[in-house]
Amino acid sequence: MKTLFLLLSLPFFALLLSGCEAKQQPIPYGQANCTHCQMTVSDKRYASELVLKTGKALYFDASECMIKYLEDNADAKEKAKMFLVTDFNTPEKLIDADKAIFLQSKNLPSPMGMFLTAFTNRAAATEMQEKNGGRILTWNETVQAVKRNERPE
Amino acid sequence: MKDPNSCPAVFTPKSIAFLDNLMNRQLKQAAMNFSRIFKKRFSLPLVLTNGFRQLKMKRLNLYLPKYSLPSALADGLLTLKCSALFLLFSLTFFVLNPTHAADLKVCKTCDYKTVTSAVNAAKPHDRILVQKGYYTESNIQIKKPVQLIGVGKPVIDAKNKGGIFQVETRHVVIKGFELQNVEVSYMRDYSAIKVYEGAHVTITDNHIKNAFFGIYLQRTDSCTVSRNIVEGEARTETTSGNAIHLWYSDFIKISDNKTSGHRDGIYLEFAKRCTIKDNLSFGNIRYGLHFMFSDGNVYTHNTFRNNGAGVAVMYTRDIVMKHNTFEHNWGPAAYGLLLKDISRSTISNNRFIKNTAGIYMEGSTYLHIEKNTFQGNGWALRVLSSCSEDTFRLNNFMSNTFDVSTNANSASNYFSHNYWDKYEGYDLNKDKIGDVPYRPVSLFSLVVERVPSSIMFLRSFIVDLMDRMEKVIPSFTPEMLKDDSPVLRQYAYDHA
Repeated sequence: MKTLFLLLSLPFFALLLSGCEAKQQPIPYGQANCTHCQMTVSDKRYASELVLKTGKALYFDASECMIKYLEDNADAKEKAKMFLVTDFNTPEKLIDADKAIFLQSKNLPSPMGMFLTAFTNRAAATEMQEKNGGRILTWNETVQAVKRNERPE
Repeated sequence: MKDPNSCPAVFTPKSIAFLDNLMNRQLKQAAMNFSRIFKKRFSLPLVLTNGFRQLKMKRLNLYLPKYSLPSALADGLLTLKCSALFLLFSLTFFVLNPTHAADLKVCKTCDYKTVTSAVNAAKPHDRILVQKGYYTESNIQIKKPVQLIGVGKPVIDAKNKGGIFQVETRHVVIKGFELQNVEVSYMRDYSAIKVYEGAHVTITDNHIKNAFFGIYLQRTDSCTVSRNIVEGEARTETTSGNAIHLWYSDFIKISDNKTSGHRDGIYLEFAKRCTIKDNLSFGNIRYGLHFMFSDGNVYTHNTFRNNGAGVAVMYTRDIVMKHNTFEHNWGPAAYGLLLKDISRSTISNNRFIKNTAGIYMEGSTYLHIEKNTFQGNGWALRVLSSCSEDTFRLNNFMSNTFDVSTNANSASNYFSHNYWDKYEGYDLNKDKIGDVPYRPVSLFSLVVERVPSSIMFLRSFIVDLMDRMEKVIPSFTPEMLKDDSPVLRQYAYDHA
């Protein structure tokens, strides 16, 4: 009986522990404001999220806003645990930013004017590139592009 | 009818055809005369007057007095020039102009049963008169300059299959339609009326219901959007687009529209030199008006009411905002007006009534905020870090919970000659200006800025005591943020 009780309570403890752990949180679309630009986060295809080591999540309406926020707040990088962006093909699904492949195309306007769209893999990005044109970037290249304020055209 | 110079009283198709014929014949003659004169112009100046007389007799009916020869010559030359211009003008008029344009009627019993078929059959500059009725059509492509006019508000229902009108040319008119049920899509921005790379397109008097995007202008210029009603169903932010959406569009006039139930009422991105006047934007999920990267726009006399988060003006400069009303924008993340990274703009004669924050500003510089009335707001102004060189003059601040709050210690913003209803100073020299400065930032507002949840102590005794103490011995509130010349009487502005 005792072991059964222990066994049953195990998931409960696990849940408690995981509560302390920094992990991704669902974005409250329509309620949260972008940490950088104050705009309401609404477009489910473009939102991004920064999870701090404390477990607190900061929401952004676009990848470019997260990049600009990191640029403005030097200490945020050390505090950060996870950088997440949305996969364009599966809205609301967040993926690791440094594993994502970005397409910068003038035909796909993102909310903050940098024309950045994220994909889970290169194949998906290439497929979209064939339809819309533009260039394919990795996360680091994207960060550089935002820093230099490079827009298509 | 026999006299070719008399004007027929009734324009029947027959008489028009006759006239047309006549005009053409006469024009041909006139042109022949003209060319003959022109050839001889240099060799034989005398013929000029002669030729001109011929012209006069044949076509123009201009009066030519019999002068002495030299003056008549000079005169003749001048008049000839004029008449040549006139001829050229009238020639182009007859060649290009819509005298030949036809009216195409669309109805259940007309030649054209659908709008699409009429659009396909129409020649440039034709008018398509769509009669009252219900049409199930979508994705109507307009690639030639035509006028589409709804007679008696015909309904076009897209039945959630794509958009309705797609204009890709110049000089199109779309007037008097009721457009319904445009498809919602993650991938494409389907709209009731979309103008793509067009110009001089006029969209008036339409009623758009339940559309993903209402009116969408992409890479256009010099268009007019007026007197439209765009009503969305206010579902979620992602499944509703913007009511009026401008993207890379310049010199657009947006006036007298009513937008509601969409993501943003009026949205501008990369749009320059636009005028937004007399619109009403209410009950939108996000913003009543939203613009980004759009310099040099003017918006006046609009009302923004009860929108999810008010109005947002971001990353722009040279904006004029006058005589607008921002009211009833309540919510934890709502503002009357959100200013983010904007500069060199004027905000005057506006009313900010009952908003969570009247103006929330961040990173905004060189703004003139004058003659506005802030009444019954949670915060009249939230001036956050990196706002500088902003001037606040001649405003009314009445019954706001907090007049100004800030999180910055040294703010280089200027307040003068405002009316503050919380001012408790005196005026001994009777110049109607308070003798002691007013500090609009209360200590408690600083506390709330740091710890938002402390708002629950609002109106408690301890908070009142704290604020009193701070007023007597200012130590925490920013030293520079004060109005040295607070006026004692409220300004009477006619905001309308």
